[in-house]
Amino acid sequence: MEVNGQLALTVLMGVFLIAVAAWLARVEDWRSYTPLAGGGTVGGTAEQYVSEEKPSGVIRWLTTVDHKDIGMLYGAYALVAFAVGGLMVVLMRIELADPSMTLISNTFYNSLLTSHGITMLFLFGTPIIAAFSNYFIPLLIGADDMAFPRINAIAFWLLPPAALLIWAGFFPIPDVIPAQTAWTMYTPLSAGVGSGNQMNAGVDLMLLGLHLSGVSATMGAINFIATIFTERNEKVSWANLDIFSWTILTQSGLILFAFPLLGSAIVMLLLDRNFGTMFFSVDGGAILWQHLFWFFGHPEVYILVLPPMGIVSLVLPRFAGRRLFGFKFVVYSTLAIGVLSFGVWAHHMFATGIDPRLRASFMAVSLAIAIPSAVKTFNWITTMWNGKIRLTTPMLFCIGFVSNFIIGGVTGVFLASIPVDLVLHDTYYVVGHFHYIVMGAIAFAGFAGLYYWFPIYTGRMYQVTLGKWHFWLSMVGTNLTFFAMILLGYGGMPRRYATYLPQFATLHQVATVGALILLVGQIIFVWNFVQSWLEGREVQDGDPWDLADDDLVTAEWTWFERKLETAVTDGGEDETELATDGGQTVDDTDADAESADDA
Amino acid sequence: MSTEEAHDDHGHHLPAVQDWPRGFGEASWWPFVTAVGGAGIYAGAGLYVMGQDGIVGQTAGPAVFIGSIFLFLAGLYGWLYHAFVSHFWSRDASQKSASKLRWGMIAFLGSELGTFGALFAYYFFIRAGTWPPQELPHLTGSLVLANTAILIVSSFTLHWAHVAIREENHRNFILGLAVTLLLGAVFIGGQVYEYYEFIVHSNFSITDGIFGSAFYGLTGLHGLHVSLGAVLLGIVFVRALRGQYSAERHVSVSTASMYWHFVDVVWIFLVVVLYVGAEVGA
Ligand code: HEM
Ligand SMILES: [Cu+2]
Repeated sequence: MEVNGQLALTVLMGVFLIAVAAWLARVEDWRSYTPLAGGGTVGGTAEQYVSEEKPSGVIRWLTTVDHKDIGMLYGAYALVAFAVGGLMVVLMRIELADPSMTLISNTFYNSLLTSHGITMLFLFGTPIIAAFSNYFIPLLIGADDMAFPRINAIAFWLLPPAALLIWAGFFPIPDVIPAQTAWTMYTPLSAGVGSGNQMNAGVDLMLLGLHLSGVSATMGAINFIATIFTERNEKVSWANLDIFSWTILTQSGLILFAFPLLGSAIVMLLLDRNFGTMFFSVDGGAILWQHLFWFFGHPEVYILVLPPMGIVSLVLPRFAGRRLFGFKFVVYSTLAIGVLSFGVWAHHMFATGIDPRLRASFMAVSLAIAIPSAVKTFNWITTMWNGKIRLTTPMLFCIGFVSNFIIGGVTGVFLASIPVDLVLHDTYYVVGHFHYIVMGAIAFAGFAGLYYWFPIYTGRMYQVTLGKWHFWLSMVGTNLTFFAMILLGYGGMPRRYATYLPQFATLHQVATVGALILLVGQIIFVWNFVQSWLEGREVQDGDPWDLADDDLVTAEWTWFERKLETAVTDGGEDETELATDGGQTVDDTDADAESADDA
Repeated sequence: MSTEEAHDDHGHHLPAVQDWPRGFGEASWWPFVTAVGGAGIYAGAGLYVMGQDGIVGQTAGPAVFIGSIFLFLAGLYGWLYHAFVSHFWSRDASQKSASKLRWGMIAFLGSELGTFGALFAYYFFIRAGTWPPQELPHLTGSLVLANTAILIVSSFTLHWAHVAIREENHRNFILGLAVTLLLGAVFIGGQVYEYYEFIVHSNFSITDGIFGSAFYGLTGLHGLHVSLGAVLLGIVFVRALRGQYSAERHVSVSTASMYWHFVDVVWIFLVVVLYVGAEVGA
């Protein structure tokens, strides 16, 4: 009976869908486009069907296949995720303000910890990078669009449902609780073994969401590889490909192997949880999961950091008044990191008792990977050396990036050494190490990009003073929070606990204050961002940063200049807005204001 | 903004001139539809799990799952139709667009290495341990050998078809595709039969020990790939029947073949390490 009911329902659903499809086909008449008389080979002729480029309203955003729109969607998505993940951690830091605090339960703390990590890495990190790469790679390499515009759109639209699945445990669904596995999802805990509550469907939903986000990232990577290989303008050769495209190309290569591997591991875990397979219940299954996870996980950290390095390598020289020092070596080091990052994963497993010979070789490669990172740092610093530095907001964030990256990198080198790691593993030191990089470097580069290109995607300029406030609060907050964590780790404070011994109270309180300072900074950012987008002064000059003075204009600004020119001459919608602006020349004043207040 | 101007200020080709909604150059509903279908498949899986726990009805999961597959396929159909099929002969078919499709396929195959890699890693991991971990079923029977031969032959017939279209020989092209598809179907049938034999007669199923997980995990993943390959070839076949492709225009024939050959190579590797490798030294 039960089975028949299911069958009937399924068939009904199928019929219903076919009916809808048929109806849509008739309404939209989408099959009846007849190609123009055969033989035409130029895409241009077909354009006679087209009256406009995009529909209006919400439909424009739902249907867009324009890389710039999709970039904006990625950006909006990433910033929402950043806010969600950020608010989660604020709750956690408040809980940690005092060892006896009972604002949230220990289990809820664990859930927040898990979701914070996954949200920031997969829903903020990867998408914010995709925002920049979608918008700017085609412009930088002189392509019409991405190689596969529709795949690009599909990849984006898979992300919102992925987020809903990952957060599903927090929604008021009866009997579903959020996962508490931490972002590393170690088995047997994540396999639901034992007396805990991790057999709950909330974990499965999170795993499914994670898999979906991985599919999206892989589709994006395939698209970028095809785009950078084949869509370059004739004038853009490998020799003069810009640094950001290089890092995206390398990142895409890493994604290509890393994410599908995680995907398969997740599916195996799901099968173990729901279909009685024994993938991770073998002897040593827990270690097997760690191998698979970190084979993905370490490249993942470079997936997240390489493109931000690219952004910094692109933006920093613009405000240092000279070209990137040792461009070639920055490219080589990017490629070197790309290759090496697949050979270091077991440095996350030094404390698990794996074969010592294996351990030593991973230590060697891990120390080696610090070299290309150091090469980059050296090049950024030498670019600024004796340069004509303009401390605009994006430049401040770039310098903040370099500074935080140095601390994050140096602490990493210590962790790569086995004896040191055995002491510091699973302490707050590790948390401090990687947050110096993920918050202090990756997020900072994201902000640098958001400010630097603000005129391009909004047509307006942000408020300079608020931008500075945002930077300084972020810089102080980051260093306060995460340096305190490094010290906590030296003191022996283990990570992932909702409470602690009283002796750690002071440093934990410092970290909490730092987190609150960060929060204030980000509120200012949101205010500045939204308000300037709506009401900021319009940019009328295609070169608001005066890059031409130093001969440092890049392709996306040339494109922007052309767009501004046509917008003015074709008497489109923009003109009315220009008129109501009161005729003030914004661009120059603004750039001057920037440099004046930096002088 | 009219097209003319649109064309001027961008100076580029619009990617979606023939699409739904019609009349726009950079708008298409298909990605959204496809993505909703794709995400629905995951939601269906999630609902299924919740159904097992009694949180939602038992039917919700499968219903959403299957409904979403249809939606996903509808989206794919619309997308492929508008992007590649509907105006095949009038579409701009430069060298560039051919090579981007090839690069897309190469990159996709790269990602497949990761997908298979995790399962092979698992298998090697247990293979390096105590062997055999359990009583193994009889693996290298005549069925596997026949199936392997069939899949290898299908690669040759496909290649033969590919050569035919390059020589503008439509008859042989279609013939070659048809034979390849047939062989693919026989292969899938053989796999299903093998599963049937193992599960019903040898009492060896996916829940039977660590080798069961490895065996069904790997062969199942591969089977899915053969099925997808058959779908791709099926699309090529239908388009060929409708008179598409020529000596100069056969990109999707090459990309689909790349995929098919790849799946074939994975199979050979799989037979050697999983079927033969499990028995050697056991
Ligand atoms: C300079 C090169 C680097 C080296 C040598 C290095 C080394 C290490 C080592 C050995 C660990 C393991 C610590 C432990 O759990 O005991 C670790 C953890 C970590 N590193 Fe790095 N690291 C480097 C750069 C980076 C970068 C660039 C990122 C981020 C983009 C990063 C993100 C992480 C994360 C997220 C963890 C913690 C993972 C976890 O257990 O949750 N590291 N690092
Ligand atoms: Cu690592």
